Amino acid sequence: MLEAKNSLGVIFFPAFDWAIEPTHPEREERLLYTQDQLREEGLFDIEGITEYKPEVATRRDVERVHFCLPSVETVATKSHMISAGGAIRAARLVMEKEADRAFALVRPPGHHAMKIVEGNRGFCNINIEAVMIEWIRENFGQKRVAIIDTDCHHGDGTQDVYWHDRNTLFISLHQDGRTIYPGSGFPDELGGPNALGKTLNVPLPPRTADEGFLYVMDELVLPVLEDFKPDIIINSAGQDNHFTDPITNMNFSAQGYAALNERLKPDIAVLEGGYAIQGALPYVNLGICLAMAGVDYSKVYEPDYHPEKVRQDVRSMDTIKRICEDVRNRYFNPPSTPTDGDVNGQWFTRMKDVFYDTDGIRESQVESVVICPDCSGAVKTEVWSTSNPLSLCVEIPMDACDKCASLGRRAIEEGHTKGNYRIVQAINRKDKEYTQFGF
Amino acid sequence: MYLGIDVGGTHTDAVVVDRRKVRAFSKVVTDHDNLLVSVRAAMEDVLSQVKKDRVERIALSTTLSTNAIVEHKTEEAGVLVSAGPGIDPENYHIGRGYAVIDGSLDHRGFEVKELNRKELQNAAQMFRELGMRVHAAVGKFSVRNPAHEIAMKSAVEADSDHVTMGHRISGMLNFPRRIATAYYNAAVWRLYNKFADAIAQSVDEYGLEASIHVLKADGGTMPLARSRQFPVESILSGPAASVMGIVALCEIHEDALIMDIGGTTTDIAVFAGGAPVLEPRGIEVGSYPTLVRALKTRSIGIGGDSVIKITRTGQVRVGPEREGPSMAQGGEAPTLIDAMNFLKLADFRDRHASARGIERLARLWDMYPDKLARQAVDFAVRSIVDECRDMVDMLNERPVYTIYELLQGRQIEPKKAYVMGGPAAAFQPILKEALDMRVELPPDFQVANAIGAALTRTTAELELFADTEKELLHVPALSIEHPIPRGYSQDAAEDDLRKLMAAYLDELGLPGTREYKDEVEIVESNAFNMVDLFGGAFRNIRVKAQLRPGILD
Ligand SMILES: [Zn+2]
Ligand SMILES: [Zn+2]
Ligand SMILES: [Zn+2]
Repeated sequence: MLEAKNSLGVIFFPAFDWAIEPTHPEREERLLYTQDQLREEGLFDIEGITEYKPEVATRRDVERVHFCLPSVETVATKSHMISAGGAIRAARLVMEKEADRAFALVRPPGHHAMKIVEGNRGFCNINIEAVMIEWIRENFGQKRVAIIDTDCHHGDGTQDVYWHDRNTLFISLHQDGRTIYPGSGFPDELGGPNALGKTLNVPLPPRTADEGFLYVMDELVLPVLEDFKPDIIINSAGQDNHFTDPITNMNFSAQGYAALNERLKPDIAVLEGGYAIQGALPYVNLGICLAMAGVDYSKVYEPDYHPEKVRQDVRSMDTIKRICEDVRNRYFNPPSTPTDGDVNGQWFTRMKDVFYDTDGIRESQVESVVICPDCSGAVKTEVWSTSNPLSLCVEIPMDACDKCASLGRRAIEEGHTKGNYRIVQAINRKDKEYTQFGF
Repeated sequence: MYLGIDVGGTHTDAVVVDRRKVRAFSKVVTDHDNLLVSVRAAMEDVLSQVKKDRVERIALSTTLSTNAIVEHKTEEAGVLVSAGPGIDPENYHIGRGYAVIDGSLDHRGFEVKELNRKELQNAAQMFRELGMRVHAAVGKFSVRNPAHEIAMKSAVEADSDHVTMGHRISGMLNFPRRIATAYYNAAVWRLYNKFADAIAQSVDEYGLEASIHVLKADGGTMPLARSRQFPVESILSGPAASVMGIVALCEIHEDALIMDIGGTTTDIAVFAGGAPVLEPRGIEVGSYPTLVRALKTRSIGIGGDSVIKITRTGQVRVGPEREGPSMAQGGEAPTLIDAMNFLKLADFRDRHASARGIERLARLWDMYPDKLARQAVDFAVRSIVDECRDMVDMLNERPVYTIYELLQGRQIEPKKAYVMGGPAAAFQPILKEALDMRVELPPDFQVANAIGAALTRTTAELELFADTEKELLHVPALSIEHPIPRGYSQDAAEDDLRKLMAAYLDELGLPGTREYKDEVEIVESNAFNMVDLFGGAFRNIRVKAQLRPGILD
């Protein structure tokens, strides 16, 4: 009988009764064949691999992470709460040492959901990884967390959530933003003034294959992790880099995904995108499960896999090497100040425009963070959009120093007295106060 | 009248039941080397007590296949496997003749790679050289398309007395289990069929005009003819017989716990809304998980004969070992039943012997004997209660796949328990207090297993898959493949499956269309949109129907 070297908990929640639209790529069928494959392979009969059902994330779990405008209920449906709850279940298994590792094979995904949420972007409403990570920190203390996003699209939502967090390392590998949604994710996006270099972006040329991805792992991701020394490693496991994915242009294979996972050794993996639901997902998900559990995956390949057909050309390998070198330097020698905004006294301010492609909402933000050598800094954001009038969002981070905490509290009070905000919302991680005023 | 026979590890019991009343009862010691002798003796005994021409149905549970597997007395079977990409099929290597043939199907049943004819011929040659006369043919995703299994079967058919094809065993997905199940089925086929011949002959000799049925582990029976093809389904049917006995004796309608307290173990089963809970994947046999459907039961090593032990820190423990009988029965070491005797909770055989044993053990550890006995009983009860709670929790934790199920999911909350087995009467009041619920002791609980055998009716399960892009529907267990129109719907699939199930029961010699038609229930039904790269939308429909475990009137 097969036995797992590392015990693995799998939260398999295909949400067979949820879809954006019947024919949308993010539909019920997405995990259907994965379920067939996992069952037919007898995955859960392998000693040490166990299936669990998800929890349902609470309103509080979401409020800890997102400023939902106008409210949690309007932006997150039950399916999103369960998907996030699936990720929480995965974290609980690992944190409570019921399993060595866990994989939340859930949908809908979440890595395009930003700090402020007014609707659906790139099939995501709430950031299920972030909800999970902050659940961990709420219950197990401030941990150093590394998120490696291997979805084909830039994890712009997760990047935004952790832009100022010096305790969270976010590395996104993705198809070059000049060729694909959401169009961001370049090496000069490095994080806010207090967390420069804690956000890293690796835009890869179209048709990057196993060779290129594994090169990035070996030459960039693993050395950076070695230096950052995270307590927890999370794989934002999007699977749309696959050579058969209908909405992307990469050449990654099931063998490649499994090998990447074997090197990364994530504590928790959370499913993100992946829309080649018949030809890729069943094999990639199986490969990842086996790799995480430390079970031989050498015979897991796609029916139509011919390595010679998906080999990348020499020129893209040169590009990849150059990018790795560049990003590596930026991590080890980050600039002293970011270039995307202005300093106003003790605040650093930048402007942002966000487009919610699925819901068609246009949003503008003025975001200010306290420049602070001692903590991640308090953040206040003024936001207005085609869907909600001018509102104020203030966050006091968990590691806030006294100065930042009081500057944050003052920003909240000023928000009330100024009176021209529709909503004043606060996430005070230091005092665990989550408040919203307005309607 | 119905005749039920339960071949147990120690005794073979037989009953004749008439309108739910026990008319005759017999108990003989099981002869493990010749089960037929025990079956005949028990049968003869009960038949002598009734008008045997009124017996219309005979049902028996038998440990024959189980024992053969556990004692490695099965016939060697040649196994042909087609796997394709995935977990290496060498991990499921079973027996001396195991051949993996190159070729594969995908999850929708499309052929990805043809079977390699040359490898197939070589394998057939190898089986011939090994002198193998029974075979199993198993393909990955064969329940979506049996073509590879059929081809593998024809490659060995000429040299074979029997070939088990995986897709005929169950419509469930699970390739490793399918391999083990098909292998065991082939391996016990000859032995089982000889036994079935002998049983049929005995029934003839007694001049009975009764239909013959065999118990399955899922709390149902199958007609003898089917059991001849699928003998593996007769394994581990013992616990199912006792659970169904309780159903017959008590008419359970609610969530409930069933505890069968024996000499060495306590078996626990759970009822949800009056129906026994089934193991969703299948039972384990000889350490191999299989696709054989079974009631969900748990066994813990605590029974009346479990020995009392004191740990180094002075804690009193009971079981899981058994070191011979209780002292009340002339044993050497005090057991749980001795503790109960000592506390006057039970009155079993030699109470003085029990007291001597408890007092001696207490002296050895410098304890008060009544305290020691009390702690032993408490430990046993606590273990049983913990196990029950844990089992219910596990069932409530079972994975679900839709938002509706997760949010509305019915939780099992037993408010009542049924207890049976030798020490049941003594345990009833203590369990009532520990579980804080009503605990019922069914009448005739000592023969519940044979009553269960007598009254258990047929169960059956069928799965249907329809793919409107392929314009095909499949019912793997019946080897049915039908064309369907593009617009084929989920409702049509449910209707078709109901009709197929009734016809299938008719074919088994049961009044399917006449009596069981309305009892066929759809237990799972899903339809998924499939969208191809050109925007075409199709439906992938999966429906599962069953005739659930039940009792004859
Ligand atoms: Zn990415
Ligand atoms: Zn993506
Ligand atoms: Zn600070």
